[in-house]
Amino acid sequence: MIFDDIYKTYWNKVFRICMGYVNDYDWANDIAQETFVTVWQQLPKFRQESAIGTWIFRIASNHCLRQIERQNRMPRSEMPEQIIDHIEPDKEPQVQFLYKCIAELPETDRLIISLELEDVKQAEIAKIVGLSETNIRVKVYRIKERLSKKFENYEH
Amino acid sequence: MSTETDFKALWTKQSTSEIPDTKELLVKAQKLKTSTRNKLLGLNLVLLATMVFIIYIGLNIDNEKLTTKIGIVLIAIAIVSYLAASNQMIPMLFKTDLETSSQEYLAQLIRIKRKQEFLNKVMINVYFILLSAGLFLYMLQFLERMNPVWATIYLVLTFGWIALAWFYLRPRGMRKKQRALNDMIARLEEVNEQLGS
Repeated sequence: MIFDDIYKTYWNKVFRICMGYVNDYDWANDIAQETFVTVWQQLPKFRQESAIGTWIFRIASNHCLRQIERQNRMPRSEMPEQIIDHIEPDKEPQVQFLYKCIAELPETDRLIISLELEDVKQAEIAKIVGLSETNIRVKVYRIKERLSKKFENYEH
Repeated sequence: MSTETDFKALWTKQSTSEIPDTKELLVKAQKLKTSTRNKLLGLNLVLLATMVFIIYIGLNIDNEKLTTKIGIVLIAIAIVSYLAASNQMIPMLFKTDLETSSQEYLAQLIRIKRKQEFLNKVMINVYFILLSAGLFLYMLQFLERMNPVWATIYLVLTFGWIALAWFYLRPRGMRKKQRALNDMIARLEEVNEQLGS
């Protein structure tokens, strides 16, 4: 498969997953780029044992998890206001709230729900994360419940 | 109103950043590669140059004493073992297998940190002991030629420096690194446990 096609098809998806993980526009952009650098490097060795999407999402998820090693990055809440607001990625408050809620979940839950919302099949999510499908189903259900509760409070 | 479809609709509404140019991406990839390689090269060059310098001096002075030769060998072993350990480590640090599942990836990260912890503890000690012993044996020959006063000053200064490094600098540096590594391992394990429940 040609890299350019993959890149164009998956950039937005990968970007959103990274955004769900860190809820920081620039940071998400960096992780997404790192993901595609890996994809570009490993593509010649890709042996179609899994679907290309699963493979890319695995790489993206692991690049997200890798950020744990770099948590000396200044937490957003400690940045001065003007730095936070220099990009306004999305004006719609509900969208912002959803991403904020997701980024506050435990790390692996962030990945699971991001993949779920990206319409990845639960069997594939199971393969990406390394859990059983049943496990994923339960987790997705719980996370959605949690998000719904947050949204209820948010709307009232 | 917060149903599943709502979440999906909201999720995809997030504006994404523009796709960076493929060329820009490849430049980034190249940079990453060269910076990793340069780090490795730099460390190796400095240590190898030191070793070559020591051996060169060792060969060029008339040393009939066995202690000098043993000293040189010990210093060389110290440097080589340190190099071997770090060379094995650095590529491993950067070459995590990103294509595995998250669970395996986290386990990998934890394994690497543990190895790093071990390397940090053991290698610094080994390196230090070999280097100090080597240096001492190497120096014996020069001490013999000095008058007793200078020899004493020389010895006190050298041992003072070794003692300072061993009892103060080494534990301090080690503790700092150890703390950072332990925090990281705890953090990774915490995330890994999220998958267990």
